[in-house]
Amino acid sequence: MTAATLLIAFPKGRLGDELVPKLAGTPLALDAAALKSRVLRIPTATPGVAALLLKGADLPRYVAAGVASLGIVGSDTLDELDMDLLELADLGFGACRLSLCAQEGVTLDSLRAKPHLRLATKFPKATEAWLTREGLTAELVPLSSSAELAPLLGLADAIVDLVQTGGTLKAHGLVETAVLGRSSARLVAARGAYLSEPARLRPLAQALITALCGA
Amino acid sequence: MPVRTPHFPDLLFGSAARLRRWEAALMGLLAAHGYRELHPSLVLRESIPEGALRFFDGDELVALRWDFTVALAGLLARGFAAPPDRVAYAGAVFRRPIQPWEAVERFEVGCERIQPEGEPSDEADVELACLLMAIPGAIGLKNAILHLGHAALVRRPLEAEGLFGGLADEVVAALSRRAPHRVREVLKGHPSAARLTAHAEALLSELDGPGTLNALGASPYAHLLEGEREHMDRALKALLPILPANLELRVDLADVAGLGFYTGPTLRLWAPGAQQELAAGGRYDRLFPDLGRPWQAAGFCVRLSRLLDLAETRPDLFEPLP
Repeated sequence: MTAATLLIAFPKGRLGDELVPKLAGTPLALDAAALKSRVLRIPTATPGVAALLLKGADLPRYVAAGVASLGIVGSDTLDELDMDLLELADLGFGACRLSLCAQEGVTLDSLRAKPHLRLATKFPKATEAWLTREGLTAELVPLSSSAELAPLLGLADAIVDLVQTGGTLKAHGLVETAVLGRSSARLVAARGAYLSEPARLRPLAQALITALCGA
Repeated sequence: MPVRTPHFPDLLFGSAARLRRWEAALMGLLAAHGYRELHPSLVLRESIPEGALRFFDGDELVALRWDFTVALAGLLARGFAAPPDRVAYAGAVFRRPIQPWEAVERFEVGCERIQPEGEPSDEADVELACLLMAIPGAIGLKNAILHLGHAALVRRPLEAEGLFGGLADEVVAALSRRAPHRVREVLKGHPSAARLTAHAEALLSELDGPGTLNALGASPYAHLLEGEREHMDRALKALLPILPANLELRVDLADVAGLGFYTGPTLRLWAPGAQQELAAGGRYDRLFPDLGRPWQAAGFCVRLSRLLDLAETRPDLFEPLP
């Protein structure tokens, strides 16, 4: 890989698990041998284009700083971080709901009625926006993972978290009491790189859209 | 609240020399075109915004100069019955950064063209664009790209649909991200959703090439924006024949940065691969009327701090210093 290599930031985790098989057989397929190793910079089937595998919460920063020219990240993460990025397409996959979830039997009305509501979440910005819309106040308990445990162990009355199939919620005896928003994978670009060199980046962005959306 | 260490960069020998050289070259260029320097105080005692660097002088809250255009407007509105028609400035502004890597102290050179309200403004807009086109040559930037936009391309359709306040801000934020799907999400259920989404798609359909201005024809507001389209077409016809060889001119229909401030044509200077614009400006005809003066104005600001950063990280983009 040379200094002129174009870098695309791909997410690890849930979105990455959906993304990698979709890219197989396309010009942006990730090198299988490198994927099995522990390296985080992976060649693609297109010479001069490599992928960085990054944690979703870090990914927008790499793109906003121009280290990676393009990236794929969930819209929930984008909304929380509010980085200065271009968002070129809604890729459709990785769709999930951002929901208020509580133990079975706890209703939205009973949560509303609590004089001191405590909500555990890794999405404080979206949660605050929802609370404002609903005219509610709450103590936010910031968590970065395993939020489902919080209501079970008394750390919070409910959680605001992403729900895809509902399997994890069910396993912990939780149910969705309100949907705050929806999230899906988005193709993002570094503002400077995209606006100053569109002829270089547009074909690559289009190749990603074609590979992932078939359009 | 997240805590962030503010970034106050010190300039070492090379950068300090470059800053002096560039300031002198640019102020010389502006002076040669009749722009006279004004130097507003570094300390502001009124109209102190949230993002300024504030402190107490005794019992009085004051701030460091955070924006030359606003500081100059105050100075001109207070002290001049009729404005000087061409003004230049150079120095530092201090502003809390939006992105963590941005510095608090930023060096700028800029100019403003001020006229009585109602005077034709086409000539002044082209004069400023010509000056901005001369900036890369003056500072030894080998190649640059000038983006020409127009704030009214977004503002007028929003006003025509009666969209103001928070919802309009969300539409503008979606356009700033160049995301028509976000415009659709934001306006879901609103009567103007289909029209404004189609408008966003038209604005974003072309970023370069000869068809850019024609893309406006696909907008449901094409008729409403006929005047702006003609204005941009005239500007292109005036600028393209005199374009320096090292400069590319592009039309950026979806330029919405500073939409709350700009009222007409906008200009942005980029270098290939630079992460941030290196100079920006446009027409802001509401600034002086808001201060009680019937004047219209346009101008641009060269962001020397960003250029200094670029010269450090991408020296290949610049001619070597003599």
